[in-house]
Amino acid sequence: MASSIDPKLVEELAAIVGVEGIVSRASELKVYECDGWTVEKSAPDILLLPRSVEQVSRVLRALDRKGIAFVPRGAGTGLSGGALPLNAPVMICTSRMNKILTIDYANRRVEVESGAVNLHVTNAVKAKGFFYAPDPSSQMACTIGGNIAENSGGPHTLKYGVTTNHVLGVELVLPDGEVVELGGAVEERCGYDLVGAVVGSEGTYGVVTRATLRLMREPEGHRTFLATFPDVESATRAVSRIIASGIVPGAIEMMDKLILRAVDDAFHVGFDQAAGAVLIIELDGMEVGFAECSSRVIEMARAAGAKDVKLARDEAERQLLWKARKRAFGAVGRLAPNYCTQDGVVPRTRLPDILRVISQVSERYQLSIGNVFHAGDGNLHPIILYDEREAGQVERALGAGRDILKACVEMGGSLTGEHGIGAEKIGEMPLMFSPDDLAAMMELRHVFDPKERANPGKIIPRPGACVEVAAPRRQVPI
Amino acid sequence: MALLGVDRVREAASLERRAAAFVVEPRNADEIAELIRMCEAEGIALAALGAMRSLTQIRRAPVALGISLRRMNRIIAHEPDDLTVIAEAGISVGALNAELAKSRQRLPVDPCQPDVTTVGALVAAAHAGPLRFSEGTARDLLIGIDFVGHGGRVIHGGGRVVKNVAGYDLMKVMGGSFGTLGIITTAIFKVRPIPAHYAVALVPHKRADDAFECAARLLEALPLSHLEVVSPGFAARFGAAGQFAVIAGFSGNPEEIGYQAKKSLELASGRGEIFNERQAEAHYAALRDLDFAAGPLSARFAVMPAELPATLDAIAGDYCAHAGNGVAEVALRAAQSLDSAQQVVAEWRERAHRTRGHLRLLAASEPIRGGLEFFHAPSDGALKLMRRLKQAFDPAGIFNANCFVGGL
Repeated sequence: MASSIDPKLVEELAAIVGVEGIVSRASELKVYECDGWTVEKSAPDILLLPRSVEQVSRVLRALDRKGIAFVPRGAGTGLSGGALPLNAPVMICTSRMNKILTIDYANRRVEVESGAVNLHVTNAVKAKGFFYAPDPSSQMACTIGGNIAENSGGPHTLKYGVTTNHVLGVELVLPDGEVVELGGAVEERCGYDLVGAVVGSEGTYGVVTRATLRLMREPEGHRTFLATFPDVESATRAVSRIIASGIVPGAIEMMDKLILRAVDDAFHVGFDQAAGAVLIIELDGMEVGFAECSSRVIEMARAAGAKDVKLARDEAERQLLWKARKRAFGAVGRLAPNYCTQDGVVPRTRLPDILRVISQVSERYQLSIGNVFHAGDGNLHPIILYDEREAGQVERALGAGRDILKACVEMGGSLTGEHGIGAEKIGEMPLMFSPDDLAAMMELRHVFDPKERANPGKIIPRPGACVEVAAPRRQVPI
Repeated sequence: MALLGVDRVREAASLERRAAAFVVEPRNADEIAELIRMCEAEGIALAALGAMRSLTQIRRAPVALGISLRRMNRIIAHEPDDLTVIAEAGISVGALNAELAKSRQRLPVDPCQPDVTTVGALVAAAHAGPLRFSEGTARDLLIGIDFVGHGGRVIHGGGRVVKNVAGYDLMKVMGGSFGTLGIITTAIFKVRPIPAHYAVALVPHKRADDAFECAARLLEALPLSHLEVVSPGFAARFGAAGQFAVIAGFSGNPEEIGYQAKKSLELASGRGEIFNERQAEAHYAALRDLDFAAGPLSARFAVMPAELPATLDAIAGDYCAHAGNGVAEVALRAAQSLDSAQQVVAEWRERAHRTRGHLRLLAASEPIRGGLEFFHAPSDGALKLMRRLKQAFDPAGIFNANCFVGGL
């Protein structure tokens, strides 16, 4: 692809990041043309891989002088097109800034560069009995910087909260290259909570280069149950009963029939193939408390209609269940050439209603839809299967997704629980927010990025712009 | 003021006079919007009053117009099975929790004297108490917000569901902004079940070092609900006069309570005492209600948790240290001259700063208030962004003007 960037600027950028830190060959840039939202594709003109905050700052200063927009990227595992370049010729990838800088067990803090991989943080501290709580399914690859951009969650956020509850301070390079320290390592804040504003801003405020995170103490033990239900209705009933009982499980995850089959083919967990749905219910806490809690959970699951409730006998069995759950998306690849997923949220009590809607949408659009989701939070992940080689299927998949999201919002829910708005759902934002709400959000954005050069075209639709994304902007056959 | 009717505009009375010259009592967000538009046109400063426990302690001079949300105190919706509640900002935390308790749930944020702390103040002034250790603060539980901003725009952020990342996080922007960006009218929280059982371990120590060491052992071994060390001046309220008292709360089912009680006594080398149910609740309430807004000079330290003992060492005042959080409230009992108060505050700030932390004044008596800086200044870069934020959200400069960090 011919670069739209002035060759002199490319030289200047190469001088900053070094020749090994710049990618400009079209064939190599193809890898970066989308993140986990694969419906739309658009490669950057150049990719930069800085190694330090100084390099990021100098790069952004150079881009600012020329008025060139950029898109930050972590590992590219995002599911809403947050790292899709839209009118941003330069991509800045933080993957080479991946060091864990300091671990402070006494204060339960860890300081990392933003390209550090989520799971590496927990791996670095688990020998001492600590963990980093947000655990998105992509945690083996996704970066802390990406988690901060998307305010990522994961199964265990039901009990432990999402990324924003675990980030105390960030170093942010503003779009004009200025480096600012926001928050710190202590609990209270001086002045406005700018860290809280940055978490979840999807790369539209600049590039986060470093973060101070909270560590949590590993609970004394876990009890992980696999409860098998004849249908999704009875499974959701069990979720409501458990939550309402006052027990706060570490996680409650649901997988429906379609997902169960795909996962079992991939990982041989031994799921009951006649089951309509299963729940993975995990309790964590003190060993002494488990006997009572476990028997209550089993009783409530049975009362809701569970055919079988099994306890993972050991850590290996527990890990197998989690592997099956966290890699469910990958396993779905066996069922269709393409899939896209939504992550709408409904109030927990509306789960049976929204699952009915999803099944109607599946019929209406003649597309298979599987469900694997954070039931305890009411956070859905309908996986819409399609084949982009067949005419009209992409549009049908997008239409099905939109209908589901619309229903979520109508039930008092949200467009996204943890994946972010990105490019994918920008057209749906007016379903949830009024023009005044969106104007206030835009004012907030301009505090950090007055010229809208950081990840343009994300989150907030332009006033007066056509908000219906009727079809992907550009499709590249794989 | 015609739009509201005479009965809802009045001169400030008693305590209110410290915060505002006149007070209005709107019934809804639209009336607040009208007031804001009028104040912007006329350049009149206004502020939400809450129950006057935050603002009156830190404003150097009253604003022209106080907005009382006394008439906006409804619970709009409580969904017990969803564990969420929507409440107007004028309701007190105590009244909200009384309603939630009917479903054995609570908003587990425990400001001092919850019956006279409004939900609006809880969010805007970032109040928190002992439960911050296990449950977080309002920051962690606020999932949606409505506020009236500049131009009288009614702005909504977040939503009604417990997990939601749609749009920028306006809850974080408004939380702890001390009313300088708009008037909060509604807050949506996730709530939690009330634990089945609750108990308190109380361990007195002669020396502060020993108390903090005991607290550290408890912290390491048990999943506590809260963990405090109170200095001798306060310890009398817990039957430990003249000593440093470690007060650890824990909750759970009977087996969990029994185990934690036994373990905490072991860790306290047999010096401690366990209180259950009603006695435990009484100790908890006394701890929560240690009042740092009443003293002639009081402050909140935030430092790294392990640095808390050294920070508080030889502080000439009484304190309640949230040992697991690295946060402590400190109060002087005797009245201060401005000179000595400035000296004390400078010394406290220096102590906090040395351990990568900071200090915020909670209250200062009227004669010295004008000469003290209440908020710790953030870094230059952060302050520049904060100025831009204030300018963006309050272009006319009317929302609780000249009260916040950096004179915002």
